[in-house]
Amino acid sequence: MLSLENITKRYGALTALDGVSLRIEAGEFFGLLGPNGAGKSTLMSLVAGLRAPDAGGLTLNGHPLTADDPSARLALGLVPQHIALYPKLSAEQNLRVFGQLYGLGGATLRERIDEGLEAMQLADRRRDKVQTFSGGMQRRLNIIASLLHRPKLLLCDEPTVGVDPQSRNAIFEFLERLNREGLTVIYSTHYMEEATRLCSRIGIIDHGKIHALGTLDELLLKLPFEEEIRFPADGGTAALVAQLGAQGTVEKTEDSYRFRPHAGVKLSQFYTLTESLGLPARLFTSQRPTLEALFLHLTGRTLRE
Amino acid sequence: MRTILVLVRKDFTTFFRNKAAVSLTFIVPFALIWIFGGVFGINRKDTGPSGIPLAVVNASDNPAAAKLLAALQAEPAFKVITTTTAADKSSRSLREEDLAPLMRDNKFRFALVIPADVVSEQEFGLHLKIYSNPRNEIETQMVNGILQKTIFANVPQLLGQSLLARGRAFIGPDRQNSFNRGLADNIARSFGGSADEILKDLESGNFGFGEREGSSAGANAAGESLFTQAVHIESVQVAGQDVTSPAATRIVGGWAMQFLLFALSGAATALFYERDHGIFHRILAGPVGRSQILWSKFLFGVSVGVLQLTVLFVGGRMLYGIDVENHIGMLLLMCVFAASACTAFGMLIASLTSSPEAASGLATFVILVMCAVGGAWFPVTFMPEFFQQLSKLTLVYWAMEGFAQVLWANASFVELLPTLGILGGIALAVMGIAVWRFNRGNIFG
Repeated sequence: MLSLENITKRYGALTALDGVSLRIEAGEFFGLLGPNGAGKSTLMSLVAGLRAPDAGGLTLNGHPLTADDPSARLALGLVPQHIALYPKLSAEQNLRVFGQLYGLGGATLRERIDEGLEAMQLADRRRDKVQTFSGGMQRRLNIIASLLHRPKLLLCDEPTVGVDPQSRNAIFEFLERLNREGLTVIYSTHYMEEATRLCSRIGIIDHGKIHALGTLDELLLKLPFEEEIRFPADGGTAALVAQLGAQGTVEKTEDSYRFRPHAGVKLSQFYTLTESLGLPARLFTSQRPTLEALFLHLTGRTLRE
Repeated sequence: MRTILVLVRKDFTTFFRNKAAVSLTFIVPFALIWIFGGVFGINRKDTGPSGIPLAVVNASDNPAAAKLLAALQAEPAFKVITTTTAADKSSRSLREEDLAPLMRDNKFRFALVIPADVVSEQEFGLHLKIYSNPRNEIETQMVNGILQKTIFANVPQLLGQSLLARGRAFIGPDRQNSFNRGLADNIARSFGGSADEILKDLESGNFGFGEREGSSAGANAAGESLFTQAVHIESVQVAGQDVTSPAATRIVGGWAMQFLLFALSGAATALFYERDHGIFHRILAGPVGRSQILWSKFLFGVSVGVLQLTVLFVGGRMLYGIDVENHIGMLLLMCVFAASACTAFGMLIASLTSSPEAASGLATFVILVMCAVGGAWFPVTFMPEFFQQLSKLTLVYWAMEGFAQVLWANASFVELLPTLGILGGIALAVMGIAVWRFNRGNIFG
């Protein structure tokens, strides 16, 4: 569906995207995971035609996507990082403006506005000014405004920044439903939980480069360990930490330790050691590694840096 | 105290990183005082008006009339026009019947006619005629003052001729010649000098009225009083005779332009709100081009501008009796074209600047300069020649010109067309630059 070939974008001396190549198939829920300043928004703006790349090309269903040809962008919907709404207008008036820009009108537009407001649980506030909405409600409306023209590909640029858990869930469920109905979604975020929950495929981006690409399982296989074990950081576990160096890496995170065994080290060896030190099994939690760990492994820094 | 100093240091750091703020603080004041100084003629030796177009029709063959014409040509306040271009492009001397049409076309607003009978045997004194289009009160009073001063400084010889003419009418030419001969002989005998030379002076009307020192520029009160009684100046107003509220009508164009410019440059900064709130991202990700955003703002600005001007003129009608109802069509056209030029200017400011603060600062600077140079505060004719030429590059000048044509001179559509064309041209050219900038610049902040 969408293809990016060797895309480079610079802002003066800063290279925001450095030779990025990517293919996204129809029906995918593709996540772009990276910290702030990684190049996610730049990539989104190039796909949305807001900016032109310095090198490389983009195609959508085989047709070139250029900043100069607005008609090619009819198949796209962009949910901007900002709440791009007119605060003095009502929810309905906002949606009407953005729908009309796509040539919608009459009963079609009315129906789509009704559907969107219903789906996002905003129907009862349709005539209220947007400035009276909570941040979460504005975010939900921000998404509806991008879907009125029924795009084939939805670009969500960090659409849940500053959103309360209730609104976030509503947004997730809405997007998952749309994806099940066939909408292709590109979703940029720096929250690994969001990428983990929503995305069928994830690209890990940092410093303008895609460092890894694949499904969650494929990505986690890139880690040199399959499980990580957490346990409290207190006097009782200090002796254990001192003896774990040969079996894997131990990191202290706030009030706990995180142990990642080296390749080939069996978990039974770890538990034998804990038993020999008289530490009860309930202190230890074994879990699958996270994208955070993968990001750290790939880039040497955390997603929050 | 340390906290305050930390905050002050932070303010200085942010201030010096804001190029617009720095230039507004250090460069703009210099530019403003230079321009305002130029406009008001500070440091000029002669701070009076200069180069005001004055048409002179000299229908008299009297040598003293030619001397008056020469004196007017030497007066720096005036640029004397004595010829006109005929339909076949040939140049010929102005005639009195040419004046009114040319003045209605605004080729000049003041004219002096020295008629063939400037000196007549029927009455003592001189007969002169001043045509005026008193569109600007200050300018009209100033021109009348300078014109009368120049005339009075140069009329003594003409007055002498008038006395001789009246004498000839009473006692006949022979007895007049005999009287002059006798008078010249007596003067030569009593005070010395050549009787023939004195006779020549007497016959040319040179009785020595104007030979006291300083007379050319400052005739004394008694002299002026005499001349005022002896010089009959007929005034002819060419345009604006029927204007019901002359004072308000003269200045309403200037008000309108200042009001419109400030209002619309403020509206243009609304573009920054849409940019900063990601609305450009949303709109431009759809089937919308950058220039369409700017043109939509332009149309909105023109509509609001026309509405604002309508309110202004209705207010002028209610409060000051400005005759709006008899000029509705032309006035509406002028409002559309003036609002278009002003809105285009607002769009250009928005496309050249990167923040609402910078846009507001630049707009204030340019508006002040355009209003000063364009004549919204001060008659253009009082400015040095350079600024008079510069004023014609400002939309304020042409918009005021247009409003005056409509409200003061009751101009027809055809008469108004050149001014509308210039305003339309300004609007298109400025919008062209704004669209070009907006299409190529970084509009995402």
